[in-house]
Parts: sequence; C-alpha cells; structure tokens
Amino acid sequence: MIIKIDTEKCIGCKKCYTVCPMDCFTWDEKEKKPVYTYEEECWTCGICWMDCPKRAIDIRYPAALY
Amino acid sequence: MAFEEYTNKIIDTDLLVVGGGTAGCPMAAKAAEAGLKVTIVEKSETQRSGNIGHGIDSYGIIPHGITVQELLPMYYDRMTSRNQGNGRTQDWNIDYVLFNREWWAIEELERMGIPMKWDNGEYYWVPHMIHGDGGDLKLGLRVHWHDVKPKMNKMCLERGVQILNRVMVVDILTHNGRACGATAINTRTGEFMIIKAKAVALATGMFDRLFDPETPLIYKYKMRYHYNPASCSGDGYAVAFRSGAGLAHMDDASWALRIRDDITNSYGNFVNNDGILAKQYYWNGEPAIPYHANTYVGNREAEDLGLLPIYQSLEHMPDDFQKRLEMNFLDERFVSLKLAADRGFNPRTHRYELMYYKPLQMMMIHGVFVDETMMSPYLKGLYAAGDCAAGVGGAWGACTSGLLIGDTVADYISQAGEAVIDEEQVAKAYEKCMAPTKVKDGTMPMELEVSIRHICERYVGAIKSEGKLREGIRRFEDIKETFLPQLMAPNPHYQMRALEVMNIMDLTELHLYGCFNRKETRGQYVRIDYPEVDHTRDNYITINRMVDGKSIVERAFAPGLKPEYEEALKKA
Repeated sequence: MIIKIDTEKCIGCKKCYTVCPMDCFTWDEKEKKPVYTYEEECWTCGICWMDCPKRAIDIRYPAALY
Repeated sequence: MAFEEYTNKIIDTDLLVVGGGTAGCPMAAKAAEAGLKVTIVEKSETQRSGNIGHGIDSYGIIPHGITVQELLPMYYDRMTSRNQGNGRTQDWNIDYVLFNREWWAIEELERMGIPMKWDNGEYYWVPHMIHGDGGDLKLGLRVHWHDVKPKMNKMCLERGVQILNRVMVVDILTHNGRACGATAINTRTGEFMIIKAKAVALATGMFDRLFDPETPLIYKYKMRYHYNPASCSGDGYAVAFRSGAGLAHMDDASWALRIRDDITNSYGNFVNNDGILAKQYYWNGEPAIPYHANTYVGNREAEDLGLLPIYQSLEHMPDDFQKRLEMNFLDERFVSLKLAADRGFNPRTHRYELMYYKPLQMMMIHGVFVDETMMSPYLKGLYAAGDCAAGVGGAWGACTSGLLIGDTVADYISQAGEAVIDEEQVAKAYEKCMAPTKVKDGTMPMELEVSIRHICERYVGAIKSEGKLREGIRRFEDIKETFLPQLMAPNPHYQMRALEVMNIMDLTELHLYGCFNRKETRGQYVRIDYPEVDHTRDNYITINRMVDGKSIVERAFAPGLKPEYEEALKKA
C-alpha cells in the first residue's frame, strides 16, 4: 500500500481528496476522512504527501518498484 | 434547444480551455485579461494537475545571449540529428514565433505572479543539452517550481476564470467547419454537460500512455520517464482527431534509456553543467563503453557478453554539483529524496541501473496540427498549445504558446459569431459516456488498457518490422472488436477511465497503421526491415483526421520559414 493515512493526525481538510491527479481518494462524509479507494491507480507522485498540512499521509514505495 | 434529454447543464463561454496545466492556465489568465469569459475544464484539479503538478526544474530553452537567428538552426540541428532524424520537423514558423515571443512570455508570467527568477532575485542560467556539452552558452532557464501550480491556479481565479475541476471533455462540438464547444462529464458525480464556446483550445499534454510503464507495476498508471503525468491519456489529441482537426506525426516514435530507480531526475539535463560527464559501469564494476541513447547496437553486444546491467554513477561529481542536483530533485518531484531515504540509498553514491530499448513517449513533434497562430487549419476556432500541439514542447513551449493564444483569441472571437450546438453530436457523446455504465460482467478499463500497452510494447516497440506490426494490427483489431463493446464502468470514476481507454485506442490505431506504412529508418524511428532513410519522406508530415465518420490520412510538407520571418531574422 503506497499511501497510509493517519486518521488521528488528519483534520479532514479535504486537500488530498481535492488535488490527487488520479482521483485515488473518495471522501467519507460520516468520518470526515479520505479513503484510499483507487489505490491501484496511485503512481507515487507525492502530491498528497506534499500538500497535507499535518503530514497525516505517509508515502512508501511499494515492493514492485524496488 | 432540445437537450433536456441529456442534461440541464449548459455552460456558455467565450473560450473553452481543455486542460488546466502548464499551457492552459497562462492561456486562460491572459484571455481573461482581454475581457473574455474563459472556462477551464480540468480532469484532475488545477492546483496540482498536469506535467508540472508536482513541480519542475527546467523551464526550457531561451534565446539568452544569442539571437533567435542563431538559436533556430541550433535547435533544428538538435531536434533532427537526435530524435526525428534529418529532414523531419514540424514547422519552422512555429519555432520562430515561439522563440521570438519567449521573453515577452517570461515577463508576462512574472507580471501575473509566477516566479521566473531564483531565490537570489536573478535568473538562473544553465547549459542546455540543445547546444551540446559545456561551453559558455547558457540557454537553459532553471526555475524553482515545485510549488508553481497552486500559483498558476491562483492567477486564473484572480482573473475570474471559471474552473470546472474533475470534469473531462468527451468530444468537441462542431458546426460548419468550426469548433463550437464540447460535451463533458463530471468524473465524480457523472453529470453530463454541454459547454457552448466561441473558441476551443486544447492543452491536455502529450500522448504516450500506449506503452508499458518503465517499472514492473504493469497494472498501474505510471509516469513516463518523468515527462508526463499518469493522468495524461491523449484526450486532446483524440478529440481533435475525431472532430476533423488534424493530428501530425502519429507515425513517429522514439525510445531512450530508462533509469530503473524512480528517484532520478528529469532526463539529466544538468549533469554536464561543469563539463563533467556521468560515468557508466557494467555489473562487475568495469567501466562501460560511454553510452549514448542512439547506440542501441552497443547494448546488444553488452547483453551477448553477459555484461549487463549497465549502471550510471554520479559519485565522482563535486559536492556543489550534488547539492544543485538535490535541489533539482526537490523542484522536479518533491517526494523523491524522502523515498530515497526510506529505501536507505544515498542519491550521491547510488548507482542507477540503465534500461534500454524501451519505447519512450512519442516526441514533441507529434500532436494537434496547427500553424504558428496555434490554430488548426482544418477546424476554425480550434487551437492547441503546449505538448498537445505538434511541434511545441517543454514548459517554455507550453507557457509561450498558451499566452500567445490568450493574447490573440479575442480577435478571432470578435468575428466568430454565435456558437451552434449540433444535437446529434450531443446525443452521440451522451451515448458514448453512458454505454459502459450499462454493461454487466464486462471488462474494466485497466484490463483493456493493459492489453493495448502490451500490443504496443511487443509488436510496435522500439525496433519495428513488418511481421511484428502485422501481428500487432491483427491483435489490436481483435481486441477492439471483442472487448470495446464490453467496456464496463460501474461508477463515474470508471466512466472517466473508460473514456480514456477509448481515446487511447483511437490514437494507438493511428500509431500502429502509421508505423506499418512508414517504411524507413530515421533518427530514433527504427524499422529493422527498412534500415535506410526514405528521402521521399523528407519534411513530410502524416496527418490523420476523421471526416464524415471515416479516418483519413493526408499529407503535408513542413513549410519553410515565411519570407517576412526570413527578412526579420536577417535584420536581427
């Protein structure tokens, strides 16, 4: 899994959901948190990691890229 | 208007900009300043969309310290001797106009809040590969652009540009040989809409998502060698083709070294800043024969001798270079150094595996066929800018061509008259969007896309020949007949992917047949069965477009420089 969301740190600002170029996230209205729904489409551009104001998103390289 | 059957959402605008990236944003901002109503339709989100979404380090080639007259032949020589081969170009007039307007574009960007200078308040000039290794000439502009995209977004909003994010254009609407807008769909809500416009500009980047990614993640969307984001699927090319505007050079291709680790920088423009070359080693630590992307024959020998892989090393580079390179990594892709640290390798000492024979994205030369006004000669009011336009490339090409359109489109619009929407075209676009939602137990878009990529990788690829191309065409037609009707989209996100795959297939078909018919070897286009240059194809441009529902091929010849430009160059 490339993206890991720390839901404790997440403040629900929707930045990641707003900017992801591949539309990998959906939004959970009830929890007010992003969900990494289309993870197979993520290409580790790192934009969600760059733009998260609380660094609640960690980005890790998947095995296939090693 | 009888469109209620399809949608209640009809947007009326002056200029429709398809793609809010490097070309689209400056274009929209400039056109808005001219008093036009401007609408950007962006498939992702303009704060981080497009090629420079996560940043870029190199703006491009600038006539700095030399005249446009001196730059043009240098540029031509580089473009033809390396990539396309001699006798292949698009249009000198486009090069002339863009280089001529480049300083104006830089000043316009600065005026609109986009930083072109470095932290020290000066322009940061670097050597550019266009003029070889080292020397006093510094034609490259280095920019601090890891956060430029949010600034471009702000620039547009400040000027009242209407931005429709998460909206993908389905097809251009035309009437009597004129572009009149587009149909589009919201990729999250699935809302279908009609955009009526007096002019349409395509700025959706380059098309290259027909080959496998360079890393083993076959089932994923991957960046092409850091040039093109995964989101680019040739949408602008495809809608231009289907609307009757022309696509140029779809039979062109290139290939290059692929660097195995994703950490790496864009194309290594800055490695030779001080005239020091990168070093290469075989797996056993012995120095490898200096490698150049064009010498693919050398690779085969290394393979036969068991010397692979070949690794590139920057270990010997001085400390201040390493620091500049780190800054490049941060500007080009901010996350790259963090990923290197996580993996426990030091970018200063890591040896990067070089791969080869990988078909690269198709080159700058191809795209929507336009003249130096950036308008299609086949469809009035249809413009293209940036990587989307044939013969234009780089951040410099995108910003300059985008600003140029923004600066001149008001003249066209003032005499264009009202846009007319064709109901039959709306109906067809609606059907196209909705068909995949009605399929059950069908084929998901990625499955189909992977199949297309495999065909291109194996049967088109870097080294082409008749047998492989025939088989590739046979398989393609088989896939198209069997799986396209079963393309499935269970939600709007997948409707977007389904539309992308349809675009990719339209364009792949042009590439397959184009390569089949192009019987020569020239530059990085290699037909092993036709190893010589076919001089009847010098300065030849293949043009593909759809007319009355049929795909036709036309040809044009790259025009020479116009007499008035020749005169102006002489006077310079």
